[in-house]
Amino acid sequence: MSQYAFLLDLGRCIGCQACVASCKVGNELGEGQQYIELIEKTHGEFPNLTGGWDNHRCFHCGDAACVTVCPTGALFKEDGLTRLDRDICSGCSYCTEACPYDIPVMWEGKSSKCDGCAETVRAGGTPWCVGTCPSMALEYGPREEIRAEAHRRAEALRGRYPNAQVYGETQAGGLGLLVVMPDDPELLDIPIDPKVPFMADAWQKVVQPASVGITIGAAVVAGAAAVIARRRHEEELEVLEAEGVISGHADGGEEEEGQ
Amino acid sequence: MARVKLDITRRAFLKGGLATGGLAAIAPTASIGAVNGMLNAKDPWYREGAIETTYNVCDVCPWRCGVVVKTVNGVVRKIDGNPKDPKSRGMLCARGQGGVSFMYDPDRLQAPMIRTGERGSGQFKEVTWEEALDYTAAALLNVKDKYGEEALAVFGHTSGDHWFADHFAQAWGTPNAAKPSASLCLSPRDEAATLTYGSAVGGHEPVDWDGIAAMTLIGSHIGEDARNTVMQDFANAQARGAKVIVLDPRFSSVAAKADYWLPIKPGTDTALMLAWMNVLITEDLYDKAYVATWTEGFDQLAAHVAEFTPDWAAGITDLPAAQIRETAQVMAANLPRAAVIPGRHTVWYGNDSQRMRATYLVNTLLGAYGREGGMYFNKSVYLEHYPYPPYTVTGSSGGCSAEPGEEAAELPLGPTGKARADGVREVFMRGPTAMQELIDPMVSGDPYPIKSLMVYGVNLLNSIPNPQKTIEALKALEFVVAIDVLPQEHIAWADVVLPEATYLERYDDLWTVPHKTPYIALREPAVDPLYDTKPGWWISRELGTRVGLDAFYKWETIEEYLDKRLISVGSSIEKLKAEGGVITQDGKPYLEDFDGSSPFHTETGKINLYSPELAEAGHDPMPVYEPVDEPPTGFFRLLYGRSPVHTFAKTQNTPVLYEIDPENEVWVNAGACEELGVADGDYVMLENQDGARSGPVKVKATERIRHDAVYMVHGFGQNAPGLTNANGKGASDTKLQTRYKLDPISGGAGMRVNFVRLDKEGV
Repeated sequence: MSQYAFLLDLGRCIGCQACVASCKVGNELGEGQQYIELIEKTHGEFPNLTGGWDNHRCFHCGDAACVTVCPTGALFKEDGLTRLDRDICSGCSYCTEACPYDIPVMWEGKSSKCDGCAETVRAGGTPWCVGTCPSMALEYGPREEIRAEAHRRAEALRGRYPNAQVYGETQAGGLGLLVVMPDDPELLDIPIDPKVPFMADAWQKVVQPASVGITIGAAVVAGAAAVIARRRHEEELEVLEAEGVISGHADGGEEEEGQ
Repeated sequence: MARVKLDITRRAFLKGGLATGGLAAIAPTASIGAVNGMLNAKDPWYREGAIETTYNVCDVCPWRCGVVVKTVNGVVRKIDGNPKDPKSRGMLCARGQGGVSFMYDPDRLQAPMIRTGERGSGQFKEVTWEEALDYTAAALLNVKDKYGEEALAVFGHTSGDHWFADHFAQAWGTPNAAKPSASLCLSPRDEAATLTYGSAVGGHEPVDWDGIAAMTLIGSHIGEDARNTVMQDFANAQARGAKVIVLDPRFSSVAAKADYWLPIKPGTDTALMLAWMNVLITEDLYDKAYVATWTEGFDQLAAHVAEFTPDWAAGITDLPAAQIRETAQVMAANLPRAAVIPGRHTVWYGNDSQRMRATYLVNTLLGAYGREGGMYFNKSVYLEHYPYPPYTVTGSSGGCSAEPGEEAAELPLGPTGKARADGVREVFMRGPTAMQELIDPMVSGDPYPIKSLMVYGVNLLNSIPNPQKTIEALKALEFVVAIDVLPQEHIAWADVVLPEATYLERYDDLWTVPHKTPYIALREPAVDPLYDTKPGWWISRELGTRVGLDAFYKWETIEEYLDKRLISVGSSIEKLKAEGGVITQDGKPYLEDFDGSSPFHTETGKINLYSPELAEAGHDPMPVYEPVDEPPTGFFRLLYGRSPVHTFAKTQNTPVLYEIDPENEVWVNAGACEELGVADGDYVMLENQDGARSGPVKVKATERIRHDAVYMVHGFGQNAPGLTNANGKGASDTKLQTRYKLDPISGGAGMRVNFVRLDKEGV
């Protein structure tokens, strides 16, 4: 299966938001729904400043935590990208807690994030953001080609930005969004080593099977959410198991599905 | 990694068999529902039916990119750049993407209206077009009978303004037609250019981006000012390694990309440029062969700038002398592939033509004009006008779509012998009609009464400085007709409102603009007009034929008009469509294309480093730095600029753009905020030096601006109840601009002469 990827060249991005608007219009996103957000990042004190635009958008992780925790399969990997089928999303919101980059959000009760314009590409088009970007900061194509292009661009940038680098080759199993960065990712508040908030294996073995059931206890969900909220320590999950939180609460009452 | 456009059209349509022909006949309101209400349906819009493609010229901003409009079942769904268009090259900015939303904005004016309440009350009754047009024609003729043709002022903006501010006004006989793109924007830039090298910069700044090696941006905030082509060219130039020097009191998006950011003290740019000239000349860095061949007055300039050393300028500009010297050396090291970019909105301090002259003189020392990688020569497209009888009065509205014209020896007179009422040749030297100078005659009757106003597409109370005075004028006028798409603030002051169809619903005149490769672009309707709206050409024609101007509207249909014009280039609407909506012609961009003759249209055929015309008119023949007023204690200079998501005061209500950028913020230096006890995200009121107050506006406490100025995006703070989204959001810079300083050369209205203080009371 071919692996595809996006290229995001922050050396070129000038913050014009054409991608944001094209994505919203091309995908006919609803009011308040947005897959790309541009966030200004500035460091230093006047007049010794550096800065740029963080593009807050799905990184399409190779090992996607959102896919791992999704109980319905609404989030899944395809062609190297992380797809979302909102029609089968149960609205559990686990993905919003699991994502190391804080990407998915709940919109009208269901998960909402970039799906790589799956349908548009299938129809012979280019992802809407890529097609319109006036700075040509965005590209889309086979991951290997994108990777080579990213390195070519980072290399060319080093004349101006000695620390220019490619982000995403190794993070989270290799990202489907390779980012050319003029400087270290921390300057954009992007983690060098993104951590998922729990042990994925344990999640799949324990919590997920329980939550896929027709009736899901509110306490189960609350318990799981609490774990996630406390974040990324194996010990916590062990404690959780030891305390037996996961079993014994199936009579918890309210349905969580279909909200 | 090819940028393939969506190309499923008929292939997918046939394969999918998703024929839903019934949708084509749905009512306009249902169409809006189709766009706003069918979100996340299983099938994306491009699988609902065949995609119909039409060509258009984007009207959301004045840059006018060629676009391809995609319509499915009678509903416009997506707009993309037209790959054949020299401006868009297949790409489009956020605002252009918002065109669909602009058209389907439920707040649009939907039917002709006649005022029933007091002026300003916003009370109207809906009437038929027949009634509205008859009423308007009678009122225009009534004012003409009493005061003459010149008593009508016509203000026009956006791409249909030709039908009113040019064609109707000139046929009718008023010299008082004006566009904000002249004296509220480009006039200093273009008049200074004409005085210096003989022609205006023109609508598309002729920067030869393809080969540029060093660019200097003076207040131009590329990326925030989101002209599509310029963003593309800038990104490519910088990726190639071009050096970028940015002068801005603010760490703008492009300043963040610059090799040199010079956080200059506002109002001191001319001092810096004089020092740059000093370095280029005293260090012998300028292009000597070019200067010897193509300029007049070098010795005078050299003597003039001898005293303006980097050390002198450092004390004025707040910039280190070493940095001033170094940036001049960077430009010189790359000449002639180096240019100071002329920019667009140049009405800042009232001394703007002189500042622009300084810009051009630096470029001349760099040998940039007519050189690859510097500044090329724009060429006008060849296309015949429709054969009209001679106009009653010659036009002088100017603006960014105007062909660069000669300054007439004698001012054109209207039928009753009156010239422009804006004071040209008296209070300012030359240039197109100064819109803001026509407000006073509406109130005072001096030099003669202006008694009626036709306003097309100008956001009157959010564009012209001192809107308080404009309201006085709106009260004093005998008749006001407004032609617009949206219920803008001034609509409440009109006697008649004529609702126009948007650019996606109408044919229009062919788009032509001087360019490196001159071209003709087509605007054709993607769908029929929504509601009871009509295209501008139709409104102009209906009014014209009702006031006795039939000879100027001989064509019956717009198609006939367009085909007649296109014959002159061997084309037609159908051919133009078949060829992708754009016809491109050859340009003559460089000196060598002129075979030894001079491309400079000055008297001597050379670039005027020393301007005899300015000397003769009593102005400084070479730029001089004059200090601007300082902010009073406790006040900041009010600077303004652009959001990449909005155009002027036009798109703040457009749903999708409103969502992305719903309100402006006032940028205040973080240290100054601390002193004032104001935190990032707080809301404050702004009060200017004359006591004018804004509504509440959010503070952006930031290191990205100097301590002596505040900044906000223009166009917010509108007081227009009919604009559901935009009404009352953010603060209006225009309403805080109770003063402006007239540029005595071009008639431009310098607007950065206002000061504000932050007030936490009353929020």
